[in-house]
Amino acid sequence: MSGRERVVVDFDQHSPEYKSGFPGLGHDLREQGPIVWSDHHGGYWVVVGREALGEIAKHPELFSNDRDRDKGYKGVAIPAPDGDGRGGFLEMDPPEHMDYRRVLNPLLSPAAVERWGPLVTEVADACIDAVAETGAVDFVDDLANVVPAVLTMGLLGMPLADWEVYCEPAHAMVYTPPNSPEFVRTFRLILRMVESITASIATAREAPRPGIIKALLAARDAGAPLDEEGIEGTILLVIGGGFDTTTALTAHALEWLDQDRGERRRLREEPELLDTATEELVRFFTPAQGGGRTVTRDCEVAGHRFRKGERVWMAYGLSNHDPEVFERPDEIVPDRFPNRHAGFGLGIHRCIGSNLARLTFKTMLGAVLRRMPDYEIDTAGIVRYDDIGTINGYRHLPARFTPVRKEGAPLADVLGRWQERLDAGAP
Amino acid sequence: MKVRVDPDVCQGHTLCALAAPDVFLLREEDGHAYVASEEVDPERADVVRRAVATCPEGAITVEE
Repeated sequence: MSGRERVVVDFDQHSPEYKSGFPGLGHDLREQGPIVWSDHHGGYWVVVGREALGEIAKHPELFSNDRDRDKGYKGVAIPAPDGDGRGGFLEMDPPEHMDYRRVLNPLLSPAAVERWGPLVTEVADACIDAVAETGAVDFVDDLANVVPAVLTMGLLGMPLADWEVYCEPAHAMVYTPPNSPEFVRTFRLILRMVESITASIATAREAPRPGIIKALLAARDAGAPLDEEGIEGTILLVIGGGFDTTTALTAHALEWLDQDRGERRRLREEPELLDTATEELVRFFTPAQGGGRTVTRDCEVAGHRFRKGERVWMAYGLSNHDPEVFERPDEIVPDRFPNRHAGFGLGIHRCIGSNLARLTFKTMLGAVLRRMPDYEIDTAGIVRYDDIGTINGYRHLPARFTPVRKEGAPLADVLGRWQERLDAGAP
Repeated sequence: MKVRVDPDVCQGHTLCALAAPDVFLLREEDGHAYVASEEVDPERADVVRRAVATCPEGAITVEE
């Protein structure tokens, strides 16, 4: 594409057509160019070419994540929700965004994440124990919703048992289409969640547990330019990012392995494949499908002219199937490598929790393959999100399997024991 | 051969370390990559090339 040819396409990532057409519809769009225009939601550019996406991601000074009414910046959601609240550092630009990321980075590095491995394993096994003798499971409700939620609570320094308070609202806030009748209920759930977070910050101030909240408060006390709004938004961001994305990846992987028993056997027999397979599944399904930007000034990037104030949607999911970068893009190739996928985003806003996601996903999948090797999905009971334009997720994924014995203590006991260790400063 | 990771471009995807864990190390404080040593044995060229090809940000450069 050269200059500013505006190829208008009928595209809306929140539509049923997107859900049923993903990822194939991206090929039709790319035939029109790597960057096309949609008139929906007030109009926005859709970046579907992987190379163009990489170029744009290198220019946060031209493509803003911020939400600022005065500047006309509308944040990462297209359409932008009502109100002014920002989604933590995901809706900040440099240098502000780095003030927050800097605090979280050491708690989410590969080395730091590895220390949570034993907790993740025990929680995953406790989840399977809870259904082991029944031979029936909902992989979403009974496993994939629970493990990432518990781990996120631990990382934040919130009570592990509180995972249940945040679980439903965290998922509902992404699967409920805006302006739908259901949204009123979801909005109330979100409000209650925000109130609870505010209360947790107050508690953390009195008696801080090790974790992200404590680290943010300590950084602010030490003079870092963090404020209440940014801290609350960051906690909400960690909950939103931590709960829902890994759940989606796990559910997709389990459904794929229901359809392809050969690959299920292969992953069981060759667990060393899990590293590349995880990247490939993040590429193929792309739990977080994309993110919005606002153009900060007239500019030309990736051979395309943008005007100040225009909105841009970075289509991570569609670009992950760009045949110019990925051979056989619409096949799952577990040992695909190199794999230059954009499934965790690109550039300075790249997913900060990717190492956690990998650990949690591999642990849950490994536990299922070990203890429920013959599981069979009840396809009639599968419920995916109505709207996959934010998170490509599931509400339900029921399955049957040959009952097995419980191996450990109930989840409540596991959480209680770990809470004592965490309160004492572990891991 | 000389191998470098541009610290301003690397965002910590960690895929280079998956390709060549002896060449690319990950910083404790943020998981971003750095090279164990800029001078890399040419015999390791294949894995280094795989790392270059898998970096989503294009942060790795090689001088043969």
